[in-house]
Amino acid sequence: MALSREAYRALEDIVGPENISEEPAILDSYAFQWLAETIRPGQSKFMPRPEAAVLPGSTAEVQAIVKTCNRYKIKVKPYSTGWYFYCAPQTEGVIQLDMRRMDRILEIDERNMFAVVEPYVIAATLQAEVMKLGLNCNVTGAGASCSLLASATSYHGAGPSSIFGGENNQNLLSLEWVMPNGDILRTGSLGSGLGWFCGEGPGPSLRGIVRGMLGAKGGLGVFTKCALKLSPWPGPAELPVEGTVPAYNSPLPDNFRAYSLAFPSWENYFEAYYKIYDNEIGYIAHRQFSMLGTELGTAFWMLYNDPTKTLDDIEEFTQKPEIKKLTEEMKIAFQIVLAGLTPRHLEYQEKVLDEILADTGGWKVAAMSQPAMERFTLLYLIRLGHKNLNFVYNGGWLGTFMQAGPPDYVKGYRHIAEEVTEPYQKKGLLVDCGVDAMMGPVGSMGGGGNCALEQFGYYDVADKESTDAVVSWTKDCVKGAIDKGFVPGKGSHYLAMGMTREQRQSSYASAPWLGMYRWQRKIKGIIDPNDIGDELYPTLDEPGK
Amino acid sequence: MALEDYRADCVSCSRCSYCKWIPFDHVKSWRFSRACPSIEYSKFQAYSLGGRLSVALSLMEGRSGYSEALKDIVWKCQTDGACDVADKICRYNIEGLEVLHELRFRLVEEGQTLPRHMAVIDNLRKEHNTMLKPKAGRGKWAEGLDVKDLTREKAEVVFHAGCRFSYDAELHNIPRTALTLLHKAGVDIGIMGKGEMCCGGRVYDMGYREQFTECARNNIRAWTKAGVKTVVTSCADGYHAFKRLYPELGANFEVLHTVEFIDRLIKEGKIKFKKAVPMTVTYHDPCHLGRRGEPYVPWQGKRKKIFGQIPVWEPPKPRYNGAWGVYQPPRDVLKAIPGLELVEMERIREYAWCCGAGGGVIDAYPDFSLWTAAERIEEAKSTGAEAIVGACPWCERNFMDAVKAKDEKIKVYDVIELVQRAI
Ligand code: SF4
Ligand code: SF4
Repeated sequence: MALSREAYRALEDIVGPENISEEPAILDSYAFQWLAETIRPGQSKFMPRPEAAVLPGSTAEVQAIVKTCNRYKIKVKPYSTGWYFYCAPQTEGVIQLDMRRMDRILEIDERNMFAVVEPYVIAATLQAEVMKLGLNCNVTGAGASCSLLASATSYHGAGPSSIFGGENNQNLLSLEWVMPNGDILRTGSLGSGLGWFCGEGPGPSLRGIVRGMLGAKGGLGVFTKCALKLSPWPGPAELPVEGTVPAYNSPLPDNFRAYSLAFPSWENYFEAYYKIYDNEIGYIAHRQFSMLGTELGTAFWMLYNDPTKTLDDIEEFTQKPEIKKLTEEMKIAFQIVLAGLTPRHLEYQEKVLDEILADTGGWKVAAMSQPAMERFTLLYLIRLGHKNLNFVYNGGWLGTFMQAGPPDYVKGYRHIAEEVTEPYQKKGLLVDCGVDAMMGPVGSMGGGGNCALEQFGYYDVADKESTDAVVSWTKDCVKGAIDKGFVPGKGSHYLAMGMTREQRQSSYASAPWLGMYRWQRKIKGIIDPNDIGDELYPTLDEPGK
Repeated sequence: MALEDYRADCVSCSRCSYCKWIPFDHVKSWRFSRACPSIEYSKFQAYSLGGRLSVALSLMEGRSGYSEALKDIVWKCQTDGACDVADKICRYNIEGLEVLHELRFRLVEEGQTLPRHMAVIDNLRKEHNTMLKPKAGRGKWAEGLDVKDLTREKAEVVFHAGCRFSYDAELHNIPRTALTLLHKAGVDIGIMGKGEMCCGGRVYDMGYREQFTECARNNIRAWTKAGVKTVVTSCADGYHAFKRLYPELGANFEVLHTVEFIDRLIKEGKIKFKKAVPMTVTYHDPCHLGRRGEPYVPWQGKRKKIFGQIPVWEPPKPRYNGAWGVYQPPRDVLKAIPGLELVEMERIREYAWCCGAGGGVIDAYPDFSLWTAAERIEEAKSTGAEAIVGACPWCERNFMDAVKAKDEKIKVYDVIELVQRAI
């Protein structure tokens, strides 16, 4: 269903002919998305092809586009950095808004510790700029390549540094929003003309409406600017970087430490989480390196740090006695970065950490504290510039579980994730990297208190059987969680992407939080009267409709 | 190889966008964080490496066909490889730069060409150069130099000037100086003069595989006949062709860029500096000397799967990710010059921003080419340097044109020119 010439010309008049296209090859580059193959017929890598790709350059242009979409009843799907099948049109008849022209850091308020950004500002660039002022931003778990605005407004926004720097949904201050009806709403203090410093007033505090349950994923208008809370950065104005590509490292000053902490049991492991929360230590804390599987991950990290080696060498690495030993040692482990705001602050944290380890039977993994590995760990976790390593084995990766809660809750589903995964790895349908391929934030919100573990399944995206298997594994993960009384977890969101509208409605209707879907219907009814947003802002139909 | 052989590479792109940025660990500012001139200039997703992988897949699956828009996507790209380096920060199983080339090979084979490129190819066939100039003028740059003519004599070392240095009169001083320096240092060196043939590297990047092979075979034959053991060039494009592409055709010469040779001679005490050059300069890494200048490693292997679903190569496949390019020798040469201060730009070494001239862009899209160069000039200016120094005539020509177009003050030099001043 191509756009009418009239509608196309109207859009072209807004952005100029160089910023709109309906060339099939260009449109297919928008339709191509990670995970499309798990839900599309024939495992196609392509989501529905947008009718046009449009690149607005300002809020005024976005508003004009949205009004045009209302006039011509065209659906619109905006994305910022656009990584995920969530970002693509979900159906035919949609135009894709690629926000890359709106890429400016508009303001950094050093004293009040916030930055105002447009959609295409990524974590790496904002972090580099604010570090010059002794500040830092929370880089989300998806890493340095991702839009901060998207993480704050439209998804979850947790990351390894959330324990100190908060989640980005918490860090969201004032916001400029082109609502689906074409009106512009400015939330928080901005709504009262008082600047960007506060999300909750003295102006409309609509964070709940803006974000819904987990962010509207581009389904509820277009967020054009937002302010984000920053946190202190006690390091140099510029990250010092050394080493040979790909595993660069950072020789940071003495007030930084990075450790991999290992524990004799999961009981001890989660006990350490509580003690870290209680004592408020840690700049970054994350179970990160286990994401590549506890059987294979250590070998990978070691070869990754040798620029003369490639993935083709991984088998050889697994056979090395020292790596076998380290693999065993790292099975129940997480990574922590301590940063001293003052020398005494670091000293205090070190002492507390040592006591926590003494109390829980944990230890600092010596091989990971060697200077080279420590410097690698520091840079890796601070910048999070290597998160595409999720795809390193074969280009296919899917995450399940990740239900956030206190450590005791997370402890409850950890072994379910392993049990469900084992047969798929044993049969060789998913990468046999160890049934524990779980990662997650030690404290997924500021100050800690809750955490999560995400189980990774690695499938060969070019292999039909393996791709089929990952879908079936995801279903088993969701079922496994529900059967044991847990909420369905991240995999359920992915599975929902492959459902028909009717199937989705029935799943919303049986969800424990179905009231939320009803409220979202009411909200959408008011601000999206022509239904130009997509179903990723989930709503439950009124009974009988 | 054919495009279809890269299907797995295309589908396994995760759409993460790393290929649009320099390696994130190295991001120092918002302003100089981008890596890919193509997406920055043309903006649509298709103009990135990831975008082009999806376009290739779309073409292979028959979802989109040949069109002017497709040609624009395929060729409005310098094949500079910054994307490939960034992609390989996390990926071992995508050969992005090879896919960019295969797309071009496919379009050329199917007759889907650009008129401006065809003009270059026609001239190459008839006149043996990519500069749209007659063959007769090729040796002019060396007029008056006392040097062996290897079309008649023999020497250990051949100095290959390349098309740009041969025909761009404003740059003639550079190969003349390089050659003279090497000669004076006692190197048994000669040139092919007007019998010199294009290296073929640039037409390879433009997608003309056959023409490249023809050039390469001609050069290999001529050098072998002249008893050449070592090939030296001051052109990064030529260096890449000789170092990386010719060995695939069986060539077995030592290949050195003049910056490597001069660095070696300085370290051996055979070149000594006598004068100070009080100047602050910044060095631009030419893509074909840096990330694309890694040595060729012979390899043949088979795909197999390990640990269930990890596709790997047996024996391990050589990895070209920019780690082993020529970065330090030009810096060491500059640092050895008395009085000269080297300041670095933010995007350097394997993640340097391209000069804009490569991949046939200077021929087909001069505006884009100049825009890319102007972006680099901005970065050079941000260091406070008085001059940007390169090691490739294509970069230097493009920078000189950008400086002129923007009426900038910054100077453009080749490393050789500063060496000459210090001697
Ligand atoms: S080509 Fe590589 S870096 Fe670019 S989007 Fe694809 S996976 Fe990411
Ligand atoms: S080769 Fe250069 S211009 Fe082409 S896609 Fe890669 S980075 Fe962009």
